[in-house]
Amino acid sequence: MLSAESSNMFMQDPMRFYRAKRDSARRRVGDKYTILGFISSGTYGRVYQARSKEEDGQIHAIKKFKPDKEGDVVTYTGISQSAIREIALNREISHENVVALKEVLLEDKSIYMVFEYAEHDFLQVIHHHSQTLRSNISTSVLKSLTYQLLNGLLYLHNAHIIHRDLKPANILITHQGVVKIGDLGLARLTQEPLQPLFAGDKVVVTIWYRAPELLLGAKHYNKAVDIWAVGCVVAELASLRPIFKGEEAKLDSKKNVPFQKDQLLKIFEVLGTPNEHDWEGLKNMPEYQNMKRMDTYNTQLHKWCMSRQSLATAQGFDFLNQLFKYDPDQRLSAKEALQHQWFQETPKPTANAFHGLPQHQIPPNRRITQDDAPSMMPLPAVAATSQLQTTAASQLQAAQAQAQLSGKGSAGSFGSVGGAGHTRKKARLG
Amino acid sequence: MATDFWASSHYKRWNIDRATVKLARSQDLQYVDDPEYLDFLSIFFANLIGKLGKKLGLRQRVIATAIVFFRRFYVKNSYCETDPFVVIAACCYVAAKAEESPIHIKNVVTEARLIFSSEEIGVKTFPSDNHKLAEMEFYLVADLDCDLVVFHPYRTLMSLCGKEGQITIREAEAGEMGTGIDDGPRYWGTGEGKLELQEGAVQLAWFIINDTYRSDLCLLYPPHLIAIAALYLTVVLHATTHNQLHGPPSSQGSQSQTHSSKIAPRRSSRPTNSSLKRHTQQDIVTFLAGLNVNMSLIATIAQEIISMYTLWERYKEDPSDTSARNTFSASQFPSTSNTLPSAPVSGRAGMMRSGSVFSGGTATSSAGTPSTGEDLSGSQHRLGQLPQLVKPAVMTPLFLTQVLLRMREAKMVDMGMVVGGMRPMAYDKRLERAQAAG
Repeated sequence: MLSAESSNMFMQDPMRFYRAKRDSARRRVGDKYTILGFISSGTYGRVYQARSKEEDGQIHAIKKFKPDKEGDVVTYTGISQSAIREIALNREISHENVVALKEVLLEDKSIYMVFEYAEHDFLQVIHHHSQTLRSNISTSVLKSLTYQLLNGLLYLHNAHIIHRDLKPANILITHQGVVKIGDLGLARLTQEPLQPLFAGDKVVVTIWYRAPELLLGAKHYNKAVDIWAVGCVVAELASLRPIFKGEEAKLDSKKNVPFQKDQLLKIFEVLGTPNEHDWEGLKNMPEYQNMKRMDTYNTQLHKWCMSRQSLATAQGFDFLNQLFKYDPDQRLSAKEALQHQWFQETPKPTANAFHGLPQHQIPPNRRITQDDAPSMMPLPAVAATSQLQTTAASQLQAAQAQAQLSGKGSAGSFGSVGGAGHTRKKARLG
Repeated sequence: MATDFWASSHYKRWNIDRATVKLARSQDLQYVDDPEYLDFLSIFFANLIGKLGKKLGLRQRVIATAIVFFRRFYVKNSYCETDPFVVIAACCYVAAKAEESPIHIKNVVTEARLIFSSEEIGVKTFPSDNHKLAEMEFYLVADLDCDLVVFHPYRTLMSLCGKEGQITIREAEAGEMGTGIDDGPRYWGTGEGKLELQEGAVQLAWFIINDTYRSDLCLLYPPHLIAIAALYLTVVLHATTHNQLHGPPSSQGSQSQTHSSKIAPRRSSRPTNSSLKRHTQQDIVTFLAGLNVNMSLIATIAQEIISMYTLWERYKEDPSDTSARNTFSASQFPSTSNTLPSAPVSGRAGMMRSGSVFSGGTATSSAGTPSTGEDLSGSQHRLGQLPQLVKPAVMTPLFLTQVLLRMREAKMVDMGMVVGGMRPMAYDKRLERAQAAG
């Protein structure tokens, strides 16, 4: 028989051998990738640029989820819902216009998601045109970007995935001019949900891109919220600034979702105040009474489009107008949007969105910073003592504080804090 | 695509063959006294996940996902090298998140400790520290290769005979199918038509599906085939539906005869087809044939479901389960209901949520072997000294926990953990068994 002592030890921790086995077999991030630098950070964690140590030497973006901390000690406290979502959905999908997940590495209480690398993103393109070139995005580029975005979205919607956080920073573009939808951290499978969608996340979609039904407190919503966001993104590409740049009302202490009056106001100023004639379900919206108390406006969208070069045609206006239908059921689906006549007008969309562009018009490569990167990556494969981990954890905090102060260090992609003066707000609850 | 089964991680990476499943248990086989115990453990663990899941307020689909995670984990690992109780809790915790109905880790720890340390199970070692469970979650997700989207037969069942979203499985699992915001297309067959079944029959099929998770079926076959097999069994088993196939109800004797012939091994589809010629409203046989799936595969799955029920007959837990096995034991196996005294346990009948459709759902297993419980508890005290556990006639959770513990100890001995132990260092039960058999 076993001695009481060893038996006791085994009883205390029966998983000891299992863990030892798994730990020794584990492929470590540092063994497989060389970290080239830091790309951006957000609420979820940080994104790094890395080169694969395999012979192809491919460049990747590695998203490291923030490890859980209790004080200075990094511990296991459970994988976040958002990480589980992003991992689960990415393992199922594969499409040219959606950022591909290469692998997930779990190491030292952190999760590393290795994605294909994309050199640019929509926000960066917008900034490049507004700050550096001081000219509009050409109709051809705008149309190509929009078409590919819708193509990726059609795939997600067919797979019953609502993205729920489409915005310029989350839509990437490769060096070859191929659009890649990124950041599925807020995305959800909508097929047969066990709980209604609103039950999980009280607030979805960054405020400027949030659809009216969400702003009016709808309990049920669908894919159409993504289409609204596409409309906002297209308008932003055309005018180089957010079309509905409202102030977000903050959650109160009880985490009740407030009435987003300013954001609705910004929408009404351009699209006019909605009425029951346009949108039958309007009167059933929880915030209907609050909305009724607001001033009324007439639509200015036609005028708005005619003053933007890339949308200043009948088809251009019709396209945007259909994406901005108040009634979610009347809004174009991704498929209908792809079939819209606007894409049949010259210039037609191209597979390489940057096709024929002179080099200077292509936005510069993503800015990679070096300073705080090394401390953020796991220590070399030699056994990391808890002492060292603690040091790394405190460095992490310092580095993040620094990154937030410097602000401009991030190119804004992967759902990060914004660059160049914008404050991109994203509320995540639940 | 997340709704395209054929492109899913479930189909591409986790639909595995029997040889792989068997290989996964090879180490456990070395250390278990009787290979059959492993099958009982399989039932025991699935029941435990169900129990913990219900306590945590998880829906049936979340529980099913947790069980699939558990089985996938043990495709790569051995019972004797791990702590299945911690794995069970982690599976529930991750499944809740994967199915978008998260629960707090603290609740999982609390409920798991309560259930596992109960007298019935007797495991007092479950860690009270949240971090331990979170750590297990990490290892679990890694061993699952991060594949967290699981397909289940429930959806097929509903798309075949439900009214999509309006189906009322009143008592047991109402609302289980979600709010039906988005209905996906059927991912195989013609996608045409619905099977018109009575509500009780749909419910029976649902319960049979629940029960399939007590075996490895969810690893071996695509969920839609399991659903069809469950439907097939339902058509045979559900009295009113069955009568519908046969026209006016025949005498009791001939009924049970057709039952036995239909359910007999290796003859499942043929005699059924011939006996199902008469029908009243809808031709169920034609409908099933029109599904354009491999019917002999369906028959195989149906056989395996029946084998699982046969095994389960010999396993005893609490009397409140809402499985469909009562239907099997009471009305399906003539040998069982004839030899064992039909002594309905009133508490059980009362607690069944399946309602009147189950004619005479009785607890045959407990009725047949009333005294084994005492025998067993007596033997457990002597456990340490016995070369082998005395195999009881009816398996109980407490006994299986002991089996598990002994496997673990044997494994430890083998690893040389204990120097100067009483057992030989090489400890292979298979060898022992071979010798015993001569």
